Amino acid sequence: MDNTDKEHVEERGNSAEWLLLTAVFIIATCGLIYELVAGTLASYVLGDSVTQFSTIIGVYLFSMGVGSYLSKFFNGHLLRRFIQIELLVGIVGGFSSAVLFITFPLAASFRLILYAIVFVTGVLVGLEIPLLMRLLQDRVAFKELVSRVFAVDYVGALLASLIFPLLLVPYLGLIRTSLFFGMLNILVGWYLLRRFKGEVKRTAAIQLTALLFLLAELAAFIGADAIMKLSEHLQFSDKVVYATSSPYQRIVLTRNHRELRLFLNGNLQFSSADEYRYHEALVHPAMQASPQVKRVLVMGGGDGLAVREILKYPGVEAVTLVDLDAVMTKLFTTQPVLTAINKQSFSDKRVKVFNQDAFVWLRDNRQQFDCIIIDFPDPSNFSIGKLYSTSFYQLVKRSLSPAGYAVIQSTSPFVAPKSFWCINATLQSVGFTTIPYHNYVPSFGEWGYVMITQRPSYQVPDTFAIPARYINKGVMQQMLYFPDDMKTQQPLAVNRLNNQALVEYFEQEWGNYSEQ
Amino acid sequence: MHRREFIQLTSALAGGALLPAACTRPTIIAGEIKGVSAAVGHLVRDGALQGAPVTTERADVVIIGGGISGLSALRRLHRNGHQNVVLLELEGHTGGNASSGSNAVSAYPWGAHYVPVPNNNLTEYLSFLEACGVVTGYNPAGLPVYNEFYLCSDPQERLYINGSWQDGLIPASGIGAADKADIDRFLHQMHVWSAAKGKDGKEAFAIPVDASSKDPVYTALDSITMQQWLQQQGYASPYLHWYVDYCTRDDFGTTIDKVSAWAGIHYFACRKGRAANAAANDVLTWPQGNGWLAEQLRHDTEGAIRTQALATRVVPVEGGVAVHYYDVQQKQLKAIDARQCIMAIPQFVAARLLPDAAERMPLLHAHYHYTPWVVANLTVKQLYERSGAPASWDNVIYGGASLGYVDATQQQLQQLKPKRVLTYYRPLATASAVEERKLAQQRTHAQWVQMILDDLRIVHPDIDTQTERIDVMIHAHAMAQPLPQMIHGAVRQQLRKPVNGNIHFAHTDVAGVSIFEEAFYQGIQAADAVMEHLITTPVS
Repeated sequence: MDNTDKEHVEERGNSAEWLLLTAVFIIATCGLIYELVAGTLASYVLGDSVTQFSTIIGVYLFSMGVGSYLSKFFNGHLLRRFIQIELLVGIVGGFSSAVLFITFPLAASFRLILYAIVFVTGVLVGLEIPLLMRLLQDRVAFKELVSRVFAVDYVGALLASLIFPLLLVPYLGLIRTSLFFGMLNILVGWYLLRRFKGEVKRTAAIQLTALLFLLAELAAFIGADAIMKLSEHLQFSDKVVYATSSPYQRIVLTRNHRELRLFLNGNLQFSSADEYRYHEALVHPAMQASPQVKRVLVMGGGDGLAVREILKYPGVEAVTLVDLDAVMTKLFTTQPVLTAINKQSFSDKRVKVFNQDAFVWLRDNRQQFDCIIIDFPDPSNFSIGKLYSTSFYQLVKRSLSPAGYAVIQSTSPFVAPKSFWCINATLQSVGFTTIPYHNYVPSFGEWGYVMITQRPSYQVPDTFAIPARYINKGVMQQMLYFPDDMKTQQPLAVNRLNNQALVEYFEQEWGNYSEQ
Repeated sequence: MHRREFIQLTSALAGGALLPAACTRPTIIAGEIKGVSAAVGHLVRDGALQGAPVTTERADVVIIGGGISGLSALRRLHRNGHQNVVLLELEGHTGGNASSGSNAVSAYPWGAHYVPVPNNNLTEYLSFLEACGVVTGYNPAGLPVYNEFYLCSDPQERLYINGSWQDGLIPASGIGAADKADIDRFLHQMHVWSAAKGKDGKEAFAIPVDASSKDPVYTALDSITMQQWLQQQGYASPYLHWYVDYCTRDDFGTTIDKVSAWAGIHYFACRKGRAANAAANDVLTWPQGNGWLAEQLRHDTEGAIRTQALATRVVPVEGGVAVHYYDVQQKQLKAIDARQCIMAIPQFVAARLLPDAAERMPLLHAHYHYTPWVVANLTVKQLYERSGAPASWDNVIYGGASLGYVDATQQQLQQLKPKRVLTYYRPLATASAVEERKLAQQRTHAQWVQMILDDLRIVHPDIDTQTERIDVMIHAHAMAQPLPQMIHGAVRQQLRKPVNGNIHFAHTDVAGVSIFEEAFYQGIQAADAVMEHLITTPVS
């Protein structure tokens, strides 16, 4: 320490010493907070919290060591340097979580950015204490100095470790927590600057920097929600082109250079790149098999893609679509990006849309249809499981003309063979002839359908005389064949309202699958 | 410190202490208390309705009481060509313990809310169920096929225990191996007894109760309490004791330290129904509970039913029986001269109407004890759910004061239910019945609401803000308790003996256990007895 610094600090006497110790306390708290923020954030986005915390603590402590070592190269204007470091810690640490949240979905090597930020913060924090001790070294006996500075340092760490999980994360969130402590760091620098105005040269520049940093963090603090939202947007691998919430679900559309994807509650519904495979396989077998199809019923299918396929048949006079979600059907009637995919099927005069509960609608229905397409979500909970029950299929039977065919999307027979064959068994138990089949839809994987009729048997038609990209006689024959890995030997229960056997199978099978 | 400052300070502190309480003070929830017409009923008790009737008419049969037994008797008589029958009901509606109500969200029960899959030997009961579309046919093996809209939808039952909801009501989650062994042994013993037969060849535990074996091996169980029996058998698990106690409170409104062991075991061992399309423990239910069955029983007999008609005297006369009743709307005392009378009302009411009341009342006071119940219907929006099994039809809290709640909207078909009606059941069995009855009559609507919400807040912390309305019904004398010696003792038989050959009793009171099948068969037996007399005695 040079003489001027020493004298000035001494002049201020005891109060200066306490002031600097208070600064130690605050910066110690801030320092640990940055470490905790980095560890928590990495656990959030990368998982495996043991590894994340362990490596981040290691890197942080190591870089603090680096900082401490580097402190010997700082000579002269120590107070000024110290204040500058405060401002730097404040800006780097303060923005650390915002930067990490935003870069996570974007950066190829997120870990590199993560450890770089941790390292820089660690080095800066590592500089703080040695510099402070040197500032105080001639004011206080060495024994006292070491004891006080480290005591205050560790108490600050304790405070940080307590308030972080109890107050900060629940009430402020990670982005605001790091910004808040960033501002504290800067304020410490700012205060020291004003307090020791005489001792530091060219304060105007530092003050201006501090003010700018402070304003930037304040703005980010206020706009933290927008930062979070931006980061969530980025987490879908593609650009979110549309997002809305209906009373029933969250509807999100994403796009990349190749395809448009629809997500309902985060589950992929279709990808424009391969949905034709799904919808052609869903619609055409039943439409071809049913004689003289004039009236068609679609249940579910609020995207209008099944209807698009149905409208390829000139003989169709009326299509009735029952889908619970009015937001969904309206979106697919009006949004140009979407109507381009469903070829404005909902605007066709033959199509009538009812936004009602399918079970209740079918119970009250007295019409018969020549062909019925059932495209419900997978039976992942009890309320949807009802729509796969014997009671529901009895109503389907009543609403289907004696020679007509219906089809039910029946989840993946590869991932969930028990679920698939349970649906098949349930349909058989109410007296239908079933024709199970499956195909490959790249964005879904191997997918299954069960076609039903009250006729005794099914014949693959010689020709599918409609414009199609995928289905034809050969494909249909292939789809009817099930390899052994899509079968199950286990005797399966029939899915009834009073046992909901299907939901149990489905949870078991898809649960196992997603744990892999 | 001056006195004034002290007061200011302490009141400020007190205010501060009250502040958090004030902030969480519950919003006032709408609703009302619907009692069984106690005021009118007590007119008989208090002897206010003496005097000469204004009008007199004739009928073949008068049925007093429009609960399940009365309606069942009326239906039986109608279907056998007896049209000249009058049924008198005190309330504005029939149904008794199977009454129901409804609002914009759903119909809901005011009492009994389900029946188990029937025992296959109950021919008359099954044919009634077939007539009202509950049984849609029989499979080749002869098992009934049930209408699946009436079989209780899955998920059926869940229990909140050790911090989360488990599937089913038998404690399983977080219990020890010894507890599990006790529970398994108990259930196995019940299973064995459900098939057991006595030396007389009859089922050990049958429905109706009177069809059960009189083998002393089994009837001896009627002289001890369920708790004594559990202890004798070395069942120590508190989880098992809770479960059995829950069941006896649920069916009999009586705790295990009071209920007869025979009755307690009957609960577990009397159900043996098998079905083509339902499991052994499945139940039949409707939004309005057994109110739906009451409606079906009533079918085509509406013309015979007089509501708001309070029977005041039943007097045997030459060639028949004179029934006096008070027409509540016209405020007139009226009379019917009938050939036969069926008293389908609780014994404690029936006794007061009969000439030998002086002999009957002491017997009743000594042997018949009636549990008061409270049933509440809560209209709720989306509730916060604790972890574990999803919302089910029957939702029970382990160790709770109530029996939990049943979701009246369970059988609704739609996927999304923005609002539901939950029916909350609570037998008031803590203090003595008299004491509980008195307390129940004194409680205000706000106090009931508080009691109910305090209980349910454990599982739905947001219930205060999510509940729109709570209607409360107090059943002051819901059911007679099957205490030891009730079922196989002499008093029940003595009280049910027909009087003078033309007054018959039909009520679950005289059966000993208050279940739907008993009420149904009580009605049938009384109607059959009446018809026998109508045929053999000529019109006077």
